[in-house]
Amino acid sequence: MKWMSLALVVLVLAAADVLAQDVFLKIPADRPTKNPLEGNAEAITAGMGAYRVRCADCHGMDARGIRGPDITQVWAKGRTDGALFSTVRNGVPNTEMPAHPAPRTSDLDIWRILAYLKTIAPATADGPAAGNASAGEGLFASNCVACHRVGDRGGHLGPDLSRIGVARARAAMSRQIRGSMADVRTGYQPVTLTTPNGQEIRGVKKNEDLFSVQVMDTRERIQGYLREDMKSVSDEKKSVMPVFGPDKLTDAQLDDLLAYLESLKGTDAAPPAANR
Amino acid sequence: MRRRYVRGALVVLGAAALMATVAAQDVPPPLVSSQELLDGLKADGSRWLTFGGNYTNQRHSPLTQITPANVTRLVPQWVFQTDTPGRFETTPLVRDNVLYVTGPLNVAWAIDARTGREIWRYKRELPPTGGLTACCGLVNRGFGVLGDRLFMTTLDAHLLALDMKTGAVVWDATLEDFSKGYASTIAPLVVKDKVIVGVAGGEYGIRGFIDAYDAKTGKRAWRFYTIPGPGEPGHDTWAGDSWQRGGASVWATGAYDPDLNLVYYGIGNPGPDYHSESRKGDNLYSDSLVALDPDTGTLRWHYQFTPHDLHDWDATETPLLVDAQFRSQPRKLLLHGNRNGFFYVLDRLTGKVLLAESFVKKLTWASGIGPDGRPKLLPGNEPTVEGQLVCPSVSGAANWPSNAYSPATGLFYLFAQESCNIYSKNDQWWEAGKSFYGGGSRRAPGDDASGKSLKAIDIQTGRTKWEIPDIGGGILGSGLMATAGGLIFYGDGYGAFIAADATNGKLLWHFNTSQSWKGGPMTYTVDGAQYIGVAAGSTILAFGLR
Repeated sequence: MKWMSLALVVLVLAAADVLAQDVFLKIPADRPTKNPLEGNAEAITAGMGAYRVRCADCHGMDARGIRGPDITQVWAKGRTDGALFSTVRNGVPNTEMPAHPAPRTSDLDIWRILAYLKTIAPATADGPAAGNASAGEGLFASNCVACHRVGDRGGHLGPDLSRIGVARARAAMSRQIRGSMADVRTGYQPVTLTTPNGQEIRGVKKNEDLFSVQVMDTRERIQGYLREDMKSVSDEKKSVMPVFGPDKLTDAQLDDLLAYLESLKGTDAAPPAANR
Repeated sequence: MRRRYVRGALVVLGAAALMATVAAQDVPPPLVSSQELLDGLKADGSRWLTFGGNYTNQRHSPLTQITPANVTRLVPQWVFQTDTPGRFETTPLVRDNVLYVTGPLNVAWAIDARTGREIWRYKRELPPTGGLTACCGLVNRGFGVLGDRLFMTTLDAHLLALDMKTGAVVWDATLEDFSKGYASTIAPLVVKDKVIVGVAGGEYGIRGFIDAYDAKTGKRAWRFYTIPGPGEPGHDTWAGDSWQRGGASVWATGAYDPDLNLVYYGIGNPGPDYHSESRKGDNLYSDSLVALDPDTGTLRWHYQFTPHDLHDWDATETPLLVDAQFRSQPRKLLLHGNRNGFFYVLDRLTGKVLLAESFVKKLTWASGIGPDGRPKLLPGNEPTVEGQLVCPSVSGAANWPSNAYSPATGLFYLFAQESCNIYSKNDQWWEAGKSFYGGGSRRAPGDDASGKSLKAIDIQTGRTKWEIPDIGGGILGSGLMATAGGLIFYGDGYGAFIAADATNGKLLWHFNTSQSWKGGPMTYTVDGAQYIGVAAGSTILAFGLR
């Protein structure tokens, strides 16, 4: 009977509402500076689920960073629960870290995720990079700067690294340099366009559809082309980023380079005042 | 024809070879030079590098492919959806077949001008809620450009330099503290090596200014306060300490005369808008046109359209520069259709008024402009506690959307509005970061949409030569553009994009978008084909001949 199932739904919703209210009641209206759910087993389990669905694509299943930074270090580096809450809620301007506004993300959701993260965060921060940053800067200048940009210097074919030190974990950068990262980041897919008279335009693909392709060519000209004007448009499998194996870059040199990259915090490294 | 392929072509094999090629080759695409900015719009249509097309703000393109004879063949070429809510007051820039567009909410794009496909996107998160006032609307009016950098103001009162190739931030300069009511929405004007911007917030008790920043470093080179401080000439035009929060914001892009080495800016209204006893005096340089030395920010001359304004009549209609015969003399003119209902022709060397004629019938506050340049005030036009009927209305007889001028017709094109308001005042007092009107305005009985028209003004007489009546909506709609093809383009208040004959105003073509227009049209070419680009609502549209 329709009305019976409706009644059941209403009952279940009412019960869920009571439960939800119960949890909400534990969170004071004024945002606490300390996570009210820290150590709460149910919150940690729920937070783990939410973290894996909503955060892990960028920060990694272990939160040690893939496209986004390592976020296991944040407490050891002095950030407070309240500041981390603000970062999740408001995002980080000029980065890929989006805001997570209510109502889709409740205060409860954020505190649960932070409660989970706290369980996998070490009490002390990883030590500074072993290498020598100024030696690393030299290696960067001779190997990387043609494609990667830091501040107002360097090329544009590869991603801008001006704030890579806060955007990527050391291990992730190491994997990228050593060539063990399989996928090509969107916007950096190598492509070759061949004109009817056989000339080639090589570059990285910024966008495409069935009828056109937008590239940055090796002269760093950004430009759109119609596929019908081309003899062929072909993607290359491998990233333009060369593999720097131990033959090209010793472990010690890699440490130097990582030390330099970790020092790159962008033009406006300080988080907004409200986030401190 | 196919030069672009040759220019971009490099025959290399494999990633390593690509790297070697990149490292070895140092011939990037040419940068935007100061000379290009001086040269303005080219007959080949390859660029549109400033808000008004070039330094004159004439918004007149030399392109002739689209004409009254073939404009009926104009069709949409592509639509770019910005997925960004709000009003797009931007004018796109174009260079080397790429459009550069800003939007509201601190967003910007590079778009393939041929296909409308995105190349990059930039977004700066708005500050956490609370504090951002962004008087008067979350808008942005476009980029400035120099070298390989684009310059953009933000709602939280910063000026950014973005890398033209990627949209990455190169530098970030703070104009003022946004929590005190400051914002910036103006399209920057690049003059030589400096980026000139102004600050919004006139209804929030700010003290307005024009700033210049070094394009390379983002360091501030000079600041011109639009309200003189103690000891400066004009300071005594503000009673008491009212100068500290007198508004006089700057949110419409200026013009530049390289021969005179002067930039021209229209300045916003004084605050509080309607309650004026606290700010007795002329309130310089509110509602004025100022001519500044772009190297130092030094004031060379000023002309105040509306001394001691009581009706929120910002002088933020784009200053438009024309070199023409005027009363049988070759002159350097500045044209300005003001919110207060008068059309002005100024000598831009001296600031002297050469002509001032009203362009609307509903005008109660002044009987004309005297030989000394001051309005001849009529009694009974002050806001009262009960409310006083005054014409024009607060939105003005004209407003900021760009005007256009065609050297071929000698006509100045603007949107005009016959309207009045009932102006009232109250004794609200100032609080940092809060709106500060000191009163309000409401609809006058009998005002309707029929009083809006597009007027073509003969600059020799100030008289309306012809008009397109009943353009609908308001004067806060699209801007205007004229072309050497003999057309004017604009969006009307009903949502249609319109092409009309620049010589007689005959409507020749329209395309309904059902959008609310806020931005000005521009035009460019790709591979020799002329396009018309414009922001419609929150989409960017490009039209071309079928």
